[in-house]
Amino acid sequence: MERHDLIVVGAGPSGLSAAIEAAKCGLDVVVFDECARPGGQLFKQIHKFFGSKEHKAKIRGFRIGEELLKEASDAGVQVVLNATVLGLYQEKEVLVRIGDEIRHVKGDAILVATGASENTLAFPGWTLPGVIGAGAAQTMMNLHGVKPGERVLMLGSGNVGLVVSFQLLQAGCEVVALVDAAPRIGGYGVHAAKVARCGVPFYLSHTIVRAEGTDHVTGVVIGEVDKSWQIIPGTEKHFDVDTICVAVGLSPMSQLLTMAGCDMADDPKKGGYVPVCDETGATSVPGIFVSGDVSGIEEASSAMIEGRIAGIAAAKYLGYVEQAAEENEVHALETSLDALRQGMFAPKNRGKDLRETEEGCPISQNLLRKGYLSDEEVFAYPGVRKIAGVHPVIECTQNIPCNPCQDACPKGCITIGENITSLPVVNPDAQCIGCGMCVASCSGQAIFLVDEDAGADTATVTLPYEFLPLPKAGDKGQALSRSGAPLCEAEVAGVRSAPAFDHTNLLTIRVPKAYAMRARFFQPMEGGCAEWANQWTVPETSAPSFRGPMTIC
Amino acid sequence: MSRIAEHPILGAPEKGRLVTFTYDGRPMQGYEGEPIAMALKAAGVMVHRYTAKRHEPRGIFCAIGRCTDCVMVVDGKPNVRTCMTPLREGMTVQTQDGVTAKVPEGGAPTDGKA
Ligand SMILES: Cc1cc2nc3c(=O)[nH]c(=O)nc-3n(C[C@H](O)[C@H](O)[C@H](O)COP(=O)(O)OP(=O)(O)OC[C@H]3O[C@@H](n4cnc5c(N)ncnc54)[C@H](O)[C@@H]3O)c2cc1C
Ligand code: SF4
Ligand code: SF4
Ligand code: FES
Repeated sequence: MERHDLIVVGAGPSGLSAAIEAAKCGLDVVVFDECARPGGQLFKQIHKFFGSKEHKAKIRGFRIGEELLKEASDAGVQVVLNATVLGLYQEKEVLVRIGDEIRHVKGDAILVATGASENTLAFPGWTLPGVIGAGAAQTMMNLHGVKPGERVLMLGSGNVGLVVSFQLLQAGCEVVALVDAAPRIGGYGVHAAKVARCGVPFYLSHTIVRAEGTDHVTGVVIGEVDKSWQIIPGTEKHFDVDTICVAVGLSPMSQLLTMAGCDMADDPKKGGYVPVCDETGATSVPGIFVSGDVSGIEEASSAMIEGRIAGIAAAKYLGYVEQAAEENEVHALETSLDALRQGMFAPKNRGKDLRETEEGCPISQNLLRKGYLSDEEVFAYPGVRKIAGVHPVIECTQNIPCNPCQDACPKGCITIGENITSLPVVNPDAQCIGCGMCVASCSGQAIFLVDEDAGADTATVTLPYEFLPLPKAGDKGQALSRSGAPLCEAEVAGVRSAPAFDHTNLLTIRVPKAYAMRARFFQPMEGGCAEWANQWTVPETSAPSFRGPMTIC
Repeated sequence: MSRIAEHPILGAPEKGRLVTFTYDGRPMQGYEGEPIAMALKAAGVMVHRYTAKRHEPRGIFCAIGRCTDCVMVVDGKPNVRTCMTPLREGMTVQTQDGVTAKVPEGGAPTDGKA
């Protein structure tokens, strides 16, 4: 029978990371994955990652995937694709189907990194074609270049729902609403804010009443829910959509571990039924290890570190590394993992209704319910300062594990400090040179450069822009508020793109001075602007005193 | 057309050769090597099969081979997961009705209704 030192099941970020570490320790490693391409979920992630430099922050997910694949091949890891592992037995034997052939393969150690499957939600019409999982949407648009739909409703406001909504907009789809039955947005505020400012309305405490259509989705009705999750009569709203995208959480795919006789536990904080394991991923069956989403739903960065830890632990189990060396390496990785597991969204804080940040700033309830900060609230945070000349305005207001903004600034304008979940602080004494590195490096697209007095009663706002077509200097359009509401006329003063910005373009718009701290997105002019000018007269909060000159019509 | 010509982050999608296949008897085009389901999606096809008992329509749901909603009759073989099966020139792809093809090969094109 074919035999290997270590068999890894799943070539996602976690499995590959484990395989790399184990192979570097000298183990003969084989990785089986049922897909035609390796990388698991990573190749669908096109946004810049959070964390710090050691976690590969500000690098886009698919690039991290490419790096992992290269590292794996350099380390001599053998990856077998189209290989579904059907069975795992206590004596560390796996049953794998490769094409039409079924093989038994024996490992001295086994690592299971099968990831998670998407949860679904049953509502009337949920089986109609056009109701798809968020992962399916990502697969279509980011792997195959096909739009999942023209008009989409997203169900689920966790990070997956938020990130995929933004990706749908980037793919050129219209997102008509983002809906969640929970009263608060589940994912990062910065992810919500970048979707909201594009004009996507959030409906919290709402759920889908029914999908409409006979052969495929043609519409959807949502309604508000009361405390016992019942629809409140009279709150129904209808949208014409061709696609309903469901992002209601992930469940660990732990069946193989149950089959192998590992001790299992139902742990809601980990997303479901998971194997009981120690901090190195060792299960109750000696020689069987786990890492990544299968051992508890988190995100890709932690899945990679867990994989590295489990890979080293497997090497130690087989006697390839000394106890002391293992402890050193594992300790360093655990410190790095621990840094990611802090802050407002840490597993230990899941479900808590926090009201203040670690610094004692109020946590915006608007951000949690509507997806954006109010114009007044924004001044409560240490990243927002009134400074003469061009300066960064950092609208990052929750304790999340992330700090690329601090590393990006060559002038020391931005400080986060040792604790990577601290809010970024803008130093009013440092001299910002307007280079834009902070804007392009911010994984949450939460940094703007503002010059509140750019002459002739105007201000300039520089914002991250990851859409096509890319506007050019001189283009006219309208500025949108944080909620995506039309605010005022805007003109593109300049567009900067650079390899170092990695596809985040910096769009500088000129707006009337009164809108410097309110204009946060730009919409190029497509139709006539008379209709728009009407909208501008409807102020979203207090009435702006300044109306832009109507020179463009 | 629901293909993304150019993506702000990913650029122009890398695609194989444009090939012709048949969908319920009529010619359709897609890129060689992409999942059959993607070629159908790009052409606006939503219904892949009808369930055996209640005759309900199903289409792509997971796109990664897990849910079996997207199975069709491909080259005469039923229950082929079209989201996982690469498109080849000249393939015959048919809407599946229960466990057989809805319209026999060479028969009248379906109007998409049950
Ligand atoms: C739709 C979606 C969106 C997400 N968005 C983000 C995001 O934006 N940012 C972020 O950080 N995280 C995101 N995540 C989570 C992140 O992708 C995961 O935390 C991470 O990929 C976990 O890595 P993993 O290696 O544990 O699992 P996966 O990446 O899921 O990899 C598991 C691999 O195992 C293989 N496999 C499973 N079962 C078998 C079997 N029986 N035999 C052989 N192979 C098998 C699968 O084919 C897959 O390749 C998202 C997840 C999903 C589902
Ligand atoms: S624009 Fe440049 S100098 Fe100014 S805060 Fe950002 S990174 Fe620092
Ligand atoms: S402002 Fe800094 S900490 Fe906040 S999301 Fe951006 S890069 Fe991360
Ligand atoms: S869409 Fe789920 S198996 Fe193809």
